[in-house]
Amino acid sequence: MGGKISCLKCKICIFLTFFVDFARKPIKKMVFNMHVLQSLIFKVKKGRKKLIGFPKTLHQLHIFEADGNFYAADLEKARVVELSAIMLDTLKLAETQTDDTIFETLGASYEDDEVSEAFERLSDLEKEGLLFNRGEDLQSSFKTESKWRKLLVVIPGINVDSFFDIETVSAGTNMALSYMIRHLVEYTDLHFAGSRNRKITDGVYEVDIGIDDLIRLRSKIAETYYGLLTLHQEHDRWLLPLYRYPEFPPIVVQCHAPRGHGGQAMNSIFRHYAAMRDCDGFTAPSDYVRDFYANYVWDPSFFHTLPNGVDSKLFHPMDKAAAKHEIAEEIGDDRIKIAPTVGYLSRVQSEKGASVYLKLAELNPHFLFLIAGPNLGRYASRALPNNLVYVGFHPREKLPLIYNAFDVYCFPSMSGEETFGLTVLEAMACGVPPVVPNFDGVPSVVGDAGLVADAENFDHDVATLVSYPCPVDFSVKINSLLNNTEMWHGFSERARQRAENFTWHNTAERIVKLFEMLHHKKKLINPNRLLNVFAPTPPAEDKESQELKCRSILLSMNANYERCLMRDAVYPLRAEDGVVLSILKNHTPREAEAILAELVADKTEAMTILKRVRGLIDGTA
Amino acid sequence: MVSRKRYRLKRHHKFERDGLKYVADLETGDLVEINDVEWEILGRYEFQTLHQIVERLKGKYKLTTIFEGIERLEQLGRQGSLLSPIVKPVEPTRVKDEQTDRMPKLLVPFHFTNEKTALDYLTGLNRYRFLKHLSAFAELETLAFSEIGGEKNETPDFDEVRVRNLRVPKSNALVAPWYALDGYDGILLLSQFLTDDLLYYRVPDVPIVHCIDGVQRLRHTLLKTLLTLSAFQRSKDTLVVKASWMKEWLAELGVPVENVRVIPDGVDVVAPIGDKALAKQHTAAIFEKPMFMKQPVVGLISGFEPHRGATWISAFARANRHLAIFVYDAMLTDHYQHPPENVVVFSADDEETRSVLPIFFQALDLVCFPAMPGTPLSTVLEAMAFGVPCVAISKYGMPEEVVGAGVAVNADWDHFGNFHVSMTELSKTIYKSLQPSEARGLDENFSERIVQQHTRKNTAQAIVQLFAEGLQRETDNFGTERTLFPPIFCRRYEPETGMLKSSVYRLGINRYDGLETALAEVLAERHMAAEVESVFKYFQLE
Repeated sequence: MGGKISCLKCKICIFLTFFVDFARKPIKKMVFNMHVLQSLIFKVKKGRKKLIGFPKTLHQLHIFEADGNFYAADLEKARVVELSAIMLDTLKLAETQTDDTIFETLGASYEDDEVSEAFERLSDLEKEGLLFNRGEDLQSSFKTESKWRKLLVVIPGINVDSFFDIETVSAGTNMALSYMIRHLVEYTDLHFAGSRNRKITDGVYEVDIGIDDLIRLRSKIAETYYGLLTLHQEHDRWLLPLYRYPEFPPIVVQCHAPRGHGGQAMNSIFRHYAAMRDCDGFTAPSDYVRDFYANYVWDPSFFHTLPNGVDSKLFHPMDKAAAKHEIAEEIGDDRIKIAPTVGYLSRVQSEKGASVYLKLAELNPHFLFLIAGPNLGRYASRALPNNLVYVGFHPREKLPLIYNAFDVYCFPSMSGEETFGLTVLEAMACGVPPVVPNFDGVPSVVGDAGLVADAENFDHDVATLVSYPCPVDFSVKINSLLNNTEMWHGFSERARQRAENFTWHNTAERIVKLFEMLHHKKKLINPNRLLNVFAPTPPAEDKESQELKCRSILLSMNANYERCLMRDAVYPLRAEDGVVLSILKNHTPREAEAILAELVADKTEAMTILKRVRGLIDGTA
Repeated sequence: MVSRKRYRLKRHHKFERDGLKYVADLETGDLVEINDVEWEILGRYEFQTLHQIVERLKGKYKLTTIFEGIERLEQLGRQGSLLSPIVKPVEPTRVKDEQTDRMPKLLVPFHFTNEKTALDYLTGLNRYRFLKHLSAFAELETLAFSEIGGEKNETPDFDEVRVRNLRVPKSNALVAPWYALDGYDGILLLSQFLTDDLLYYRVPDVPIVHCIDGVQRLRHTLLKTLLTLSAFQRSKDTLVVKASWMKEWLAELGVPVENVRVIPDGVDVVAPIGDKALAKQHTAAIFEKPMFMKQPVVGLISGFEPHRGATWISAFARANRHLAIFVYDAMLTDHYQHPPENVVVFSADDEETRSVLPIFFQALDLVCFPAMPGTPLSTVLEAMAFGVPCVAISKYGMPEEVVGAGVAVNADWDHFGNFHVSMTELSKTIYKSLQPSEARGLDENFSERIVQQHTRKNTAQAIVQLFAEGLQRETDNFGTERTLFPPIFCRRYEPETGMLKSSVYRLGINRYDGLETALAEVLAERHMAAEVESVFKYFQLE
């Protein structure tokens, strides 16, 4: 039958023969036909070539033989793969030949199924990202640029393209990130860690570096990138282990909401703070967030404010009457044309202050309360006050018009939600004075360009939703703005001016400067080679209590058998200092901080100990 | 930390590509870029000791570069690449050589200048004789440094100790213990002052035997010395004290005594010069004290602090006016101006005075000694070798060295050698012990046993044996389990209380864990169990 299976019909013929024979007689014949059938099925299976899609570009490979086996060292993925002879032969042809020609060429020396198996294994390796270039060959475009102008952005779980399609970006955090990335390109090339190589837009690439590759590729990453930028996501598992490798360039983590979620976000930030190397850091969108964390840690210098910006070309004051007119026409509510309007642009949810907003509408029947958002959420099924108007969901380019249709922008979010308040800034850029609650990051964005309403704020209980905007004071503030034209104009003017200071350009520049600063810090790190031993001290002669105490003895010799201190060979240290010294061998000063906080009751004293020991390490390096 | 080779090299392959050097771990599939020095270290790692690697490469690379290279490779080993941890230490090869006739080679660092002034003549003499006998069982070597290009000033060999003259560059950053890394089966420390000696405890794989004399002149620092040593000791090291009460004292202080051995100095026993009566006659004549012929002669061998010692002996002499009291105390002779009539004070300060000492010992009817630091046990034993029974003034009962040869009087002394004994009880016991009926209870073979047991040869042999024992202990104790989940010490906010608590987050299992456990674990990576325990005790942690 060999190789003669060309059509389905033949197979059917065989089956027919089989059945006919079976019916007509003989076991013997049947057995024969079973054999035929089996061999046929086998041939079909064997003949099914595994297609890989050669030719393919290969990674930089180094092929070598050791202990009688072949290996390929994938220099781009820092992995070594054992190869069979046939896989090796396949790789030799991989860049120039097609699947079929390779199959044919190798068919001369190998059995077909061996070739198939080799294809199968190579295909598996390709899936792991090994040996073959996935996506475009970007080597040429990478090589032309200086290494200090490349930043590796690692944000797992978010599709890179989404940052460049602003309409698909929903949450404020991602929105901000999207803007920031697009402005960062003015300073540096951005390489997004992904699963293939491709150019996304000028200066922005996706590169085939998976989360699992990072640690293995650390020296390559250090060579190529001046920094690693990522976003804090509290359930991340991949980032913490990275800090243990000194090779990585500075890692900057953008952090956001400190509150809410039972303290999980905070605790995650504290873990990162503890694990970070001296040359890593956080960015916080507002001084408020920065200070929030800085108050809890001993080294606040790890937290940097990185304010968001606003596109003040897109968001700008327009003819208010015209804007109101357009919206009124669009949704068919003429009240908008004449009544003073209060605006709210958000997801309509309790934590975003939707119920407070509802209350405000009830309290102020003489104003129109507009809501712009994706939908009304659970409020859609409720009876809403008559003066509450849903103006629908609008594409981003239309948002300036919406903002301009507001006379006052109202931002009643509950605490823990807002680290910055990007919509407030956008409203301000459109010359709309905001009224915001007195907590979180928003007042620092508003400054003197809006009114800050009272809020109940329970500072001591940081990790739960326990701060509430006060509807009555919100109402008072809104009324005072809308009942005093002169005052309104003053605020509107200042809002626009203030917003103009928040540019994405500045934000991007700050990031680049932050990385530069962190590079300097990296150079200052000294290895801790001091040796110490804990020994009991003799009890004091005059004391009643004859109990042994513990002290630490610092040896003059370091781990390299070099003398690092002058004079005597041994120095007595306090046990506290010794513990810190030992901890700092493999752990960060922030971890020593956590330990000292537990061991030493007096915080000032504990901080002094940490400082002293770090000084000792630097002084003897 | 480059402290020892704790790793074995896995199957690997080195190659160069585009001017860069790589090494492939064929077991894990890791590929690591390495630099020139790491390349060379890898080539040597399997076959050479760290010392050899550094010594061979130091002409070509800076010391720090070499050490950094080793450090980086071992760091990779900790992360599972390229090197894998050695689970069991390499079987000690050298110390087993007793069968093959090769004597172990021991490093004996000398810097006795300080100690010369602190040691009395007998202690110094004992030390010298000990080394002399030791050289029959071990090859002894000490280090002497001189500068390359400087004056050639080679220290000649001591009689039994060969001097290894090392010529090092002026800028040599390596401390003496570095040179102990190479080629020694053990390090013998005799120092009573802890200066550079402690650094030898950082020399990996080489066991240390540290012999401590309870020298009276150093008593104020003795306790500190012992406590410090016990902290530095690894399981392969041994602390040798010269009397059982020293060990009991350490145990009382809560110091682990598993690695403490009691090995008294060997004793010199000379043939008696006639009978006891003749010896008494000589003694009376030498000191011009006729009462030494007529009255019972009691020897008091002590290591008293001079002022307190003089006061106490005077009180003792007045309470026992019928006794002729012979005091052997290395310090008192200079300080004790006017002893009572029935007391003579003596110490051996040179070969001549040393040679008459056996006459006095032979004249004794009883030897009395306080079992405390500073009392030279070997001197007590030398006296008892003439068949003299003893009264031990002791805090821990009858010292095992003299069991069967006398009685103990309960006494107390604090950690600083202040000594308290009931004078009435002591006097009564001495009185009873001097009665002929009591003497019959004495173990008749005692003096013979002393002579046979406490020879200098035995002492030397026992000490050489300790090096092998130490390595065996190390092998037995090896293999501390390391957790697979690296801890991150961090603060944690507790919503229930609104407080921040220190905690530990474990990578890998991604969970919080108890701070104490992780702290103990991290400290144990570099510190002995006793150290960790004392740290925990200090901070009142569980």
